[in-house]
Amino acid sequence: MKSKWKNASLTGWLFVAVPAGLILLFSFYPMYQSLLLSFQSGKGSVYNYVGFNNYVRLFSDPIFKQATFNTLLYLAIQVPIMLILGLVIANLLNKPNLRFKGFYRTAIFLPCVTSLVSYSILFKSIFAVDGIVNQLLMKMNMIDVPIAWLLDPVWSRVVIIVAITWRWTGYNMIFYLSAMQNIDPSIYEAASIDGASKTRQLFTMTVPLLKPIILLTMITSTSSTLQLFDEVVNITAGGPGNATMTISQYIYNLSFMYTPNFGYAATVSYAIVFMVAVLAFIQMKVAGDKK
Amino acid sequence: MKKIISTALMLTLTGSMLAACGDSSNETSSKESAGTSSDKQKVVAWAWDPSFNGAALKIAEELYQKENPNFELEIIDMAKIDMEQKLNTNLAAGVKDGLPDIILVNDVNIQKYITAFPNTFTDFTDKVDFTKFSPYKVDALTIDNKVYGVPFDIGVTGMFYRTDYLEQAGYKAADLENITWDEYIEIGKVVKEKTGKYMTTINPNEEAIHAIMLQSAGSWFITPDNKGNFVDNPVMTETMRVYKAISDSGIAKPVTGWSEFVGSFNAGDTASVISGVWQIASIMDAKDQSGKWAVAPIPRFNLEGAVNASNEGGSSWFVMEGSNNKDLAKDFLSKTIGGNSEFYERFLNENGGVGSFTPAFSSEVYKQKSEFFGGQAIYQDFTKWSTEVPGISFGMYTQEAKDALKNELPGLLNGTDITTVLKNVQKLFELQAQ
Repeated sequence: MKSKWKNASLTGWLFVAVPAGLILLFSFYPMYQSLLLSFQSGKGSVYNYVGFNNYVRLFSDPIFKQATFNTLLYLAIQVPIMLILGLVIANLLNKPNLRFKGFYRTAIFLPCVTSLVSYSILFKSIFAVDGIVNQLLMKMNMIDVPIAWLLDPVWSRVVIIVAITWRWTGYNMIFYLSAMQNIDPSIYEAASIDGASKTRQLFTMTVPLLKPIILLTMITSTSSTLQLFDEVVNITAGGPGNATMTISQYIYNLSFMYTPNFGYAATVSYAIVFMVAVLAFIQMKVAGDKK
Repeated sequence: MKKIISTALMLTLTGSMLAACGDSSNETSSKESAGTSSDKQKVVAWAWDPSFNGAALKIAEELYQKENPNFELEIIDMAKIDMEQKLNTNLAAGVKDGLPDIILVNDVNIQKYITAFPNTFTDFTDKVDFTKFSPYKVDALTIDNKVYGVPFDIGVTGMFYRTDYLEQAGYKAADLENITWDEYIEIGKVVKEKTGKYMTTINPNEEAIHAIMLQSAGSWFITPDNKGNFVDNPVMTETMRVYKAISDSGIAKPVTGWSEFVGSFNAGDTASVISGVWQIASIMDAKDQSGKWAVAPIPRFNLEGAVNASNEGGSSWFVMEGSNNKDLAKDFLSKTIGGNSEFYERFLNENGGVGSFTPAFSSEVYKQKSEFFGGQAIYQDFTKWSTEVPGISFGMYTQEAKDALKNELPGLLNGTDITTVLKNVQKLFELQAQ
């Protein structure tokens, strides 16, 4: 009896060992190496250990500060808009008597299957100086001269936020929708009988019941916004000035555009790791279940 | 039984994984041995434009094969940015297996690569007669008196203009020769008034025009010893003044990117384009504008040492020091791109490419008249200007300096004074380049 348990356990451990080994080799080992790299500085293939110099440089680097500010701005504005929008749309699409449900769901999810680069290029041309948005606004006599969307620090950020929201709302909506379909409809019936309005039902029943999913989407959106790269590079290339540059783009510039300093680039990546970890921790504490 | 199955499964899984790892290393080693044992001599080259620099390699291969029938060149095309990334990561990791024998390098990156990755690129000093090349191309390749590659295409600049628009505004070809930037702006104002067309385009998020202006007066964003060259540099101050004047005068159409820039002159919105010789291809894309274009030298600064010629872009060929076919690759490049007029004639004829090999400039091909440009012998003009371009060193931190400048350009255009802007740029650059 005992040996049989032992055998089963051994098999289990062997199965776990393979993925664990792969994760160690391809994920944790590089992480460890990049941590070591973040304490080195130099050019190209010539590196020296410099202690905490890179971290000191990080805190006095105006471009890093600007990139962090931009990234946190996207996070603070875009993630709440996107999640609330996703929740509202999911709620609308969850109505049992809605017609053409499949069509709407597909239409709203469709942006998620487009490639990041191609949709970015589309947004770039839509918001060009003689792009379709300007022409539309001029035809409607709302503006007299075209707005240079991507050349203005404020408007270019707005364009980026609009673009990411368009791309990712449907993705989060699908999570909410599938979670909503797991909620027993009878509790809504009961609530209606008790006289709760639809809005009331959304905020006091649906949202609390969706809490684990909301938490999940919050954490994934936060970490993906902190790693935002494709959209900014393709729509504005970080400009005008550095008004839309994100931390990821800065890391890319340090490694591939400038004289390569992979050491300092690794330091900047660890700044992202740190921020993701702290934000995830806060979100878990605030929204997570208390044990 | 279960145990046996699972163990077997495990073993096959790990086995196949290891085999997969092993396979790739076998493959490369067998490739290498094949390269040396058979009489086919194969060289691998990376280039980024199959219809331009890739095509140039094809021509060079054909020419070299006449004397070396066993020679074979494998050209791998990839996007320029991918190529730079691949090179950077491979070199930084110290992995040389994945790298080719010959690689194309953008001129502004030369010094960066050679300094950041010492002993990676072969010295060509004694292999090629560099006196036969435009001096400014050789200057860009020279570091500590060693020349690290074979100069390839040039980006000598010109002022392309629409003859019909300028005629309408009352200007003849002679009025556009050897003008200053202030005269250019005045002409632009008249063109705008009489034809309603913009004189040029402006992109506050780009520093191409600044680079052209700086080099025309023998200056650059950074000094040859890699210090910021923004403060106490009269050329830089003048560049900023002219740039602001162009923006303020309203003669420039704002654009946000390359395709909009090209689109504006293809659509006939702008009366002139100041750009490198390679822009000819894009200008000629607008077939309906044939005969309506001409090209004059670019405007110059009213400063001592400033000329009506500059350069934008251009690249050179490098050979990897660690390559197994180093000597063959060197021989191939030096006998074709490094000193064969026939190569340059064919390259111009077949791909419209202009090289920096001066003996080829006197050939008939370079004297051909272009119908699109109203019968002007444009290549002859460009090659003449190319000998006037001041030689400069691009240094290691050009990209950092350009980005630092870009950061302050919106401020400049919104009215911050030039001295403050340049001080900020200098400070930012010093923080970046360390």
